[in-house]
Amino acid sequence: MNRSIDLKVQSLFMSPAALVAAGIILPPLCYVLITSFQGDTGPLSAYKLIVESSLFRQTLATTLGVASISSVLSLILGYIVALHLARQHPNRRTVLMVLILLPFWTSILVKCFAFTIILGRHGIINNLLSWASGFDVQLPLVLNRVGLFVGMTNFLVPLVVLPVLASLLAIDSTLYRAASVMGAKPARMFWTVTVPLSVPGVVAGLLSVFVMSLGAFVIPALLGGPQDQMLSNLVDFYNRQVLDWPKASAISVILLALASIFIVPMALWRRRKI
Amino acid sequence: MHGRNASNGEAIALRGISKAFGSVTVLKDTELTVNKSEFLTLLGPSGSGKTTLLNLISGAIAPSSGEILLAGRDITRMPPRERGIGMVFQNYALMPHMTVFENVAYPLRARREPSEAIRRKVLDALDRVGLNGFDDRKPRQLSGGQQQRVGIARCIVYSPAIIMMDEPLGALDKNLREQMQTEIKRLHHELGTTIIYVTHDQEEALNMSDRICLMKNGEIAQLGTPDELYFRPNSRFVAEFIGESNLLPGKSIAANSVAIDEAEAVIAPSSERGLGSDVLVMVRPEKMHICAPDADPPAGHNVLRGVVEAISFIGGMTRITVKTAHGVSVTAKIISGPACTRPELGSAAKLSWSPTESVVLNG
Repeated sequence: MNRSIDLKVQSLFMSPAALVAAGIILPPLCYVLITSFQGDTGPLSAYKLIVESSLFRQTLATTLGVASISSVLSLILGYIVALHLARQHPNRRTVLMVLILLPFWTSILVKCFAFTIILGRHGIINNLLSWASGFDVQLPLVLNRVGLFVGMTNFLVPLVVLPVLASLLAIDSTLYRAASVMGAKPARMFWTVTVPLSVPGVVAGLLSVFVMSLGAFVIPALLGGPQDQMLSNLVDFYNRQVLDWPKASAISVILLALASIFIVPMALWRRRKI
Repeated sequence: MHGRNASNGEAIALRGISKAFGSVTVLKDTELTVNKSEFLTLLGPSGSGKTTLLNLISGAIAPSSGEILLAGRDITRMPPRERGIGMVFQNYALMPHMTVFENVAYPLRARREPSEAIRRKVLDALDRVGLNGFDDRKPRQLSGGQQQRVGIARCIVYSPAIIMMDEPLGALDKNLREQMQTEIKRLHHELGTTIIYVTHDQEEALNMSDRICLMKNGEIAQLGTPDELYFRPNSRFVAEFIGESNLLPGKSIAANSVAIDEAEAVIAPSSERGLGSDVLVMVRPEKMHICAPDADPPAGHNVLRGVVEAISFIGGMTRITVKTAHGVSVTAKIISGPACTRPELGSAAKLSWSPTESVVLNG
């Protein structure tokens, strides 16, 4: 099919969804942007105060740290899962995919409450350990970094599995046959064939989970402790507790800018790939 | 034949090898020995078991029974990477993310050779396949023929005892295919490697092979030199698969005589088949002579009379089909001449062939 006609047809089909999405997203976003310039003492005053506040800097550091570590953890876990799935018979793989997607489709709020039951001081894990050891075990597994990372990776792993699995399944299986006939051991095959050829999936997965975790709100609020609050929680704090909307908007704009820094290069890179 | 047929040792021997997937037998009990420096082609229609045989040798699948000896060493249970066999794939199977150099260096790196030796060997292999200066290209920047040259360089670079080629030219167009055939033959001659070549193209097999192993339904139908398969096929299948053939149904009526269509007796090479048994007399169309009904065919020839039914002028050769009074269609292939030299459609004609040019097969 002619490529330009193809593009026209595509944009025709995409336009209703694009219009609705733009209508819903753009006005509030513009409102946030305008509000962020309405600080008490000048258009940039809210930004100035925010950037100078140690609470913001600390939260920014926490956000970047938590987002990076949960992205890497999710990548490692998700890659292993994707490797396993890629080796299954297609029928079995479909069943396993449903097992991965069911929790992914479940409300994040529900999953967070489930984790407080599992990880709490008198939760399932601590009770099991107490029963097994005979002591009263009360490991602090929730309302701290541990709980936060458990929640984050649980949420993010499927987002890594999907693109990585797509990349792995796209690898021509005769490459493995060729490599083994040429004398490569499984480890060499993994590092010279599987890993380099799954890079597109890894990059797509990693960037999307990183951007997703930058904006995490419910998980740090419910599973993290006071030290684990992220930028979204800070927006909420200024919005509802302090009622300082210019500052809340300024943080939102900074968060959006931060996410764009990662999303835009990814979009360009993928376009180049296609 | 460059003396390569001389049995200077077995490169690989299959002893009673068979393979079944569940209840489906894809390869029946097979014996096959390939000599050192031999070019052996596995030929056959799809599903005949030739690829199964190749996969068994490469170690991609394990046999259900039997053993495989590589230079006398049992490799039946050995993983592919330890067999030291080279393989060229139909879809090239080059690493898309590696340069040509890295692709060819791959087997050497797997063997942890020093980088100086790797560089020297890779450049030499690329030189041998005519890809000088292509070392830093990516496979997708090369044409199909060039990619397959990389595939071949990647094999010869580590001097495997056997190189297997699985329809390596199947994805190339006709002219390029012929050019590559010549190059593979040249490489084989230069390197003296044992090559096991899989194809379903009989012309390719005839052109390249020292011996052809023609397969059918998971069995070897006939194993022999291209000459043997073409001129002395052992069955109707072989006669029909390789080249064109006239198969004249008849009955054996004497030690060296066959009655075609219960009418005309022809002389055929003697066979041990019993009198009265159904046989086929096979004559290649280019061995059929055709002449006017009043002309005399060469002395000692078998003769059939009929009417010219079809003439097709296909370039260098012209195919003339004659239908006998008993309804048997016989084709003669003659060197083309201008239209006035050909018999006319519907005219009577005499076909003749020398008994030594015919083969009697089971009916």
